Amino acid sequence: MKVTFKIWKQDKPETKGALKTYEVSGLTEDMSFLEALDHLNEELVLKDEAVIAYEYDCREGICGQCGVFINGRAHGPHDNMTTCQLHMRSFKDGDTIVVEPWRAASFPIIKDLIVDRSSFDRIIEQGAYITAKTGTAPEANAILIPKEISDQAMDAAACIGCGACVATCKNSSAALFTSAKINHLNKLPQGKAEEHQRVKEMTYQMKEEGFGSCTFTGACEVECPEGISITNIAEMNARNFKAKLFG
Amino acid sequence: MAVNPLFFRKTLIAGTGLFLCIFLIVHLSANCILLLPEAVARGMYNSYSTTLRESPLIKIVAYLLYLSIILHVVYALLITIRNRKAKPKKYVINNSKENSSWTSQNMGLIGTMILLFIVVHLANFWARIKLGIGERPEIDIAGNVDVYEVTYSLFQNIYYVIFYTALMIPLGLHLNHGLKSSFKTLGFYHKKGLKIVAKISLIYAAIMAIGFGIIPFIVYLK
Amino acid sequence: MKLDSKIPEGKLEDKWRNYQVKSQLINPANKKKLNVIVVGSGLSGAGAAATLAELGYDVQCFCYQDSARRAHSVAAQGGINAAKNYQHDGDSVWRMFYDTLKGGDFRSREANVYRLAELSAPLIDHYVQQGVPFAREYGGVLVNRSFGGVQVQRTFYARGQTGQQLLMAAYSQLYKMIRAKKVKMFPRSEMMDLVVIDGKAKGIIVRDLVTGALKRYAADAVVLATGGYSRVFRLSTLAIGCNGSALWKAHKRGAYFAAPSFTQIHPTALPQSSEAQSKLTLMSESLRNDGRIWVPKQKEDSRKANDIPEEERDYYLERRYPSFGNLAPRDIASRAAKERIDAGYGVGRLKNAVYLDFKHAIESFGLKTIKDRYGNLFTMYKKITGIDAYKEPMQISPAAHFSMGGLWVDYELMTTIPGLYAIGECNFSDHGANRLGANSLLQASIDGYFVLPNTINNYLASVLKEEHPNTNHPEFAKVENEVRKHIENIMNVNGTKTVDHFHRELGKIMWNECAMSRNKVGLEDAINKIEKLKDEFWSEVKITGTSNGMNTELEKAYRLADFIELGILMCTDALQREESCGAHFREEYQTEDGEAVRIDDKYMYVSAWGYNEGNFKMHKETLEFENVKPTVRSYK
Repeated sequence: MKVTFKIWKQDKPETKGALKTYEVSGLTEDMSFLEALDHLNEELVLKDEAVIAYEYDCREGICGQCGVFINGRAHGPHDNMTTCQLHMRSFKDGDTIVVEPWRAASFPIIKDLIVDRSSFDRIIEQGAYITAKTGTAPEANAILIPKEISDQAMDAAACIGCGACVATCKNSSAALFTSAKINHLNKLPQGKAEEHQRVKEMTYQMKEEGFGSCTFTGACEVECPEGISITNIAEMNARNFKAKLFG
Repeated sequence: MAVNPLFFRKTLIAGTGLFLCIFLIVHLSANCILLLPEAVARGMYNSYSTTLRESPLIKIVAYLLYLSIILHVVYALLITIRNRKAKPKKYVINNSKENSSWTSQNMGLIGTMILLFIVVHLANFWARIKLGIGERPEIDIAGNVDVYEVTYSLFQNIYYVIFYTALMIPLGLHLNHGLKSSFKTLGFYHKKGLKIVAKISLIYAAIMAIGFGIIPFIVYLK
Repeated sequence: MKLDSKIPEGKLEDKWRNYQVKSQLINPANKKKLNVIVVGSGLSGAGAAATLAELGYDVQCFCYQDSARRAHSVAAQGGINAAKNYQHDGDSVWRMFYDTLKGGDFRSREANVYRLAELSAPLIDHYVQQGVPFAREYGGVLVNRSFGGVQVQRTFYARGQTGQQLLMAAYSQLYKMIRAKKVKMFPRSEMMDLVVIDGKAKGIIVRDLVTGALKRYAADAVVLATGGYSRVFRLSTLAIGCNGSALWKAHKRGAYFAAPSFTQIHPTALPQSSEAQSKLTLMSESLRNDGRIWVPKQKEDSRKANDIPEEERDYYLERRYPSFGNLAPRDIASRAAKERIDAGYGVGRLKNAVYLDFKHAIESFGLKTIKDRYGNLFTMYKKITGIDAYKEPMQISPAAHFSMGGLWVDYELMTTIPGLYAIGECNFSDHGANRLGANSLLQASIDGYFVLPNTINNYLASVLKEEHPNTNHPEFAKVENEVRKHIENIMNVNGTKTVDHFHRELGKIMWNECAMSRNKVGLEDAINKIEKLKDEFWSEVKITGTSNGMNTELEKAYRLADFIELGILMCTDALQREESCGAHFREEYQTEDGEAVRIDDKYMYVSAWGYNEGNFKMHKETLEFENVKPTVRSYK
């Protein structure tokens, strides 16, 4: 199959970028979207042109490193999917595919389709952990955790940190990302000791990084590859009130 | 730790929004008097509005109302400015309609339309009756200011009727998204409960938009 | 040089305790003065960095990804083993030790394997404390499931995302220490070479992947936690960025490479569908708990899976290995699949797959239970293939997966270069010739959290009196220049073929000759072909762009240059081992019904390869079994 890619090219963070058009043929429906870009890059090398920079690592939807805006949707046309899981069978022969990097002030562009998501790491740094040193753990079954609680914690913990929620949000809010982590840890008995501090400090960092506020458009939960529910944000709000009152 | 604007501003908007939602219920119930035959409606409506104006309790509520509108608007503006800064560059192509409702993406625009409506609405009624700007309203037989007449004469103008009715569409959209979101902002996260809230929001918004929207027409046709 | 594995005195059960009692301690004030470089931020790297920092060392941690959270430990699905005996099914440290040793076909050290089993139980405690949401019963206790090669239930899991959840715990702990300013994290930074001063590892040269700048970092000890090298096959279950370069550079600087040819081929990955494919997605082994593997009894059967009646299906694993059935160990399951596919019974468009069927499981446990157990795996399968596996069987195929081989390490996890440690998948320590499922997360974690932090002080105590290494040392300049020259050389080839072209070629050679089954003629031929490929690479590879800045093609190229050399060593190693053991199956050494023939009197050793100017020299670490008697590994 043959498609026309319009891909954002930007050499450096400070330079101005633009969409560049590439005609690519010789693709098959079995190819993943990223393999189609690989194919394009090989052609570019042979034509003596610089390759397009884009990110990926595991290519099985779990590492969270891939992620671009494809035809106006984070991670492409399907709900709850990563870019690496997108296959060319989702497009038609002759389609034009517009590919842009994540756009958010807190995700500055490094090159072409690659952005810097270290703001997420800094949110994690502000309390997405349980302060306990290696070697101090009590017997695992000593604290019982009902299946329901454990399952809910797991639902929230499934976040892969890809940034699609921020990318798709018109406010570039990191509320889904931050709330998922807070709820994962605050639900578990192990995370209770630091629950209030965790909420306060992580959400404060979210503000410091320049993310916008959540206005519940709901786009994030549709684009989230793990389908993390937006009720997590409501729950984070509740935890924030609780932290204000009791923390 | 300092106040986190991401929460503080949103909480304020949600809180004032909820208060305004309650006010709208009272407002619409009173407006329903206008649907009664003129003979009954005029007296009832005028005495009702006099009672409101003269009650000290209502005075406090009224100031709260003004404050709510102002805070709601000002903080919405502050949030919007911050949110725009958070996304300085827009996508060349954005298919947001595939993942979210148009309303949720455009609450600012819709809110601005409602603000425009409020300005006109206040100029039509509040300015004339309370501030005494413009033509002085008449007094009815019972000695009350004839607010009914003010309303009635305004809605003899078809352009006003259309304006008042048309702008109830953004109001409905705004209420629908705003009401259910305010619950989430204020920390209500029960999954099934939120589904019910969403349904209530839709019903509430529909009643408000249709209720406020048809009254000018009915008055016009009287 | 004689290989000294430094196995402590005493009974097997007491060795680790005896070691700890006798090892040196460093007082907290002195620990602050010592810095340790950790390369890699996966389970072993992040675990080690966080724990070393908690102990008081000054730590620098490097990863090539944009965040520590991307490390490939994240992709492990099925679970982590621990001898907790929560299921009351007769499990114990001893049984786990034995299973692992037997699973590895008696090609690993008793003492190491015992320590792995011994520390497995506290590891689960640790992860639970760190907030890992392991699967639980309604009553709140932890649940277990079975994995291949084992008859008890000792695998702990968090849906099909166990690796992710463990990595998140390690990453969180790492960031806790970053916040405490005890660890400095360097993402998008790739180790290009090791700096050895006076025979000791004293630092690394790093390439900043954003600016292309080369940077020097000095340390009192260097820890490699860089994972496996199965991307040498190109098509593997590994992340695209996984590479063997750090290992290879360390090897060239004097670290012995042990059993490089021991590579695990995972039986349940998604089959290759085209030449352009970049990756074979793994489907967790846990699926074999409930899924049944089969092929049609009739060759080249073109019917749809659901149209083939029960009596015309060949459940070949259940047929050949009745006592373990679908849960036969990975090497055996992969080889059995290859045997059926090669014999013409393969299914799928390219006839390169077998079926993994959940029909019976859904019938007996109900759709809901199966969804609960494997929901996200089924969803993933559908996203990639477009097929609903609740309605028709999955198609799976063997794929290169885990590297049992790696840098040779002693009981302390130190390589043959003093001060250089290798932990996690990048060392050769516990898995022998084949790794059991759910032991990989275990080994990576144990190495990083429990072993290294207890052994590194033995070395660091000795360097405390020495001068702290400095990046102004001429050796740093020398190595940095060599790296710069190496990059320039690659950039200057300016040939006519892409990096991926060479990687595909290398992958084909390795997959055909050095994967599931090997033979003398093939391996010799492979070595010749790779030598030729190496020459061609250095005369025909083409990279556009520059080395001063982000250049993803250049990254691929210098990693591939090392893979090509590593490929030669892998084949050389496979060639010298004239027996079949574990994942290493030499066609010349098999029984009439196709089972492996191990030759203990000649090959009961670990091959450890030294490097000298392009030549490899093998050293032997003889394995001594004092506590168990190596038996023929039968799963029939």
